[in-house]
Amino acid sequence: MRTEATAPAIALVGREERSGRARFWIGAWRRFRRNRLALFGLVYVIVITFVAVFAPTLAPYAYDKIEPSIALQPPTIEHPMGVDKLGRDMLSRIMYGARPMLLVGVLTQVAGLLVGVPLGVIAGYAGGFLDWLITRLIDLFSALPWYLIVLYMVMVLSPSLQNLILALTITAWVSSARIVRGISFSVRELDFILAARALGTPTRRIVTRHILPQVAPLLVWGFAAGIPTAVFAEAGLSFIGMGVRPPQPSWGQMLGEAGLYWQYFPHMFIFPSLMITLSVLAFQGLADGLREALEVHVAA
Amino acid sequence: MLAYTIRRLFGILVMLLLLSMFTFTLSRVVPGGPWMQGAEIPLPDEQVAAFKAKYGLDKPLWQQYLVWLGNAARLDFGRPFTAPELSVTQLIARVLPYSALIGGLAAALATAIGITLGIIAAARQNSWIDTLITSYAVGIATIPSYVMGYILAYLIAAKLGLFPTGGWGGPRHWVLPVVAFGLPASGGIARWTRQCIAEAMAADYVRTAYAKGLSQASVMTRHVLRNAMIPIITSVLPIFPGMMTGSIFIERVFGLPGLGTYFVMSSTNRDYPLVLGITIFWAVLISLTYLLTDILYGVIDPRVRIGEGAR
Repeated sequence: MRTEATAPAIALVGREERSGRARFWIGAWRRFRRNRLALFGLVYVIVITFVAVFAPTLAPYAYDKIEPSIALQPPTIEHPMGVDKLGRDMLSRIMYGARPMLLVGVLTQVAGLLVGVPLGVIAGYAGGFLDWLITRLIDLFSALPWYLIVLYMVMVLSPSLQNLILALTITAWVSSARIVRGISFSVRELDFILAARALGTPTRRIVTRHILPQVAPLLVWGFAAGIPTAVFAEAGLSFIGMGVRPPQPSWGQMLGEAGLYWQYFPHMFIFPSLMITLSVLAFQGLADGLREALEVHVAA
Repeated sequence: MLAYTIRRLFGILVMLLLLSMFTFTLSRVVPGGPWMQGAEIPLPDEQVAAFKAKYGLDKPLWQQYLVWLGNAARLDFGRPFTAPELSVTQLIARVLPYSALIGGLAAALATAIGITLGIIAAARQNSWIDTLITSYAVGIATIPSYVMGYILAYLIAAKLGLFPTGGWGGPRHWVLPVVAFGLPASGGIARWTRQCIAEAMAADYVRTAYAKGLSQASVMTRHVLRNAMIPIITSVLPIFPGMMTGSIFIERVFGLPGLGTYFVMSSTNRDYPLVLGITIFWAVLISLTYLLTDILYGVIDPRVRIGEGAR
């Protein structure tokens, strides 16, 4: 009965809020469109995702097809990026190499959000002992030399794509937890939350309807901003042989394999280098564009 | 100030304790061990047992940890399994100078380029030169140091023959690693410097200074730079220890000795004492630098009060 009487008022507030938010996101897209590097990033990410998903159809050869007779051959028409030391087609391997890059970049951020957002909401909204505990945890994890830990965990757990993602997730949740905690903490005492509480709105609904939309822009930016770091880490660890296992290709690993040959067969390091750099640039541009578009104020 | 420092030092100690527990447990619970290294065929069980007994690896995990902790408290980190003629501390002391030299020069290069470009970009905001510098800063930071290393080694060493392609030697051998390591790091510094100075230039006291009739040069040096330098210095300083502990990537590309290579080697060899020693050394160095910069922040910026009354 009680809820029925108040229902129209809530619906009205909800609708107004929603249209205001829609305006915000439309404005954000307009601001985003003006940034050329961000647009490049968006297009690049769409293209590379397409390539990664359809690599088996798009790639001219199998990534592990060995042709020793033409090993180390520079680019030709049949092999536009040349072949590697075992005679495997570089173009096909580059296409397949987009898969670990995207998997690590995106999955670690998703996992980070899945862990970080609930912890942040609990800490900020519930407060008290839980807040103290989670804040200490966040402090601890930001004080740890994370690069060392990721490197160490991957080496000890035996190098593989899964372990790489696991190790990176351990550090990826910290920033989203901190962001969400800060905002839910400051929003908790605002009038509209108090009003919602007074109306008997369940906590779960307050969190999903009022708190999360407030944090959404920050989280979208945080998601994008974390990807370049993860891509960097995947390439770097695969480069020193601690990431993706052969024969599965990864750009970092291909670059590492170029080790002894780069002086005489530059195609072996040029193409993987180019792909790593372009990808980091694209994701970075996307993140920077989102920061401006969503009007997120953080230190660059 | 003193109370604050003590509290922070205590926090660092707790962090080190947890870090060592984590590293210690992780290295022991995963399959494999130092007795498996270098053996063509698996060692007989008696020999593994003898090895474990000799190094105390047969005791329960918590006992092993307490023994390690007791020794570590006296700065004795044991001897590496792979190089027992040296202690862990001696080994770090022997390798560190190589990493510190290359990393220190690289950090100095990054700082010099980054701050110079950042100042120029901020002074000429929204001009073509600002666009150029910002593009450089964004672009250069996306190039991993090992990619930069290969590009430089290919173009400058292999094609032009100006510098050696790798190895350890005189100053001529340092140039390419330092540039490859330092250039990518200069991008972030340039962006941060530009932002700090741009913020300082928008402050009210700068408008007042112009209104008093001061020249642009004197406003920039006397008011803007002095205020902007504080956040710049405190965020550039931690870059030094971070880079001076070496980069496995740069060491790999140019075939240099260094701490990064030892860390990777010790982990794959399950060289427990060396892994823990390097991890703790690294963590101590980095957390002390952060503490130092925070204290320095309070000393050079009178607006910052740390300790009681803060927060």
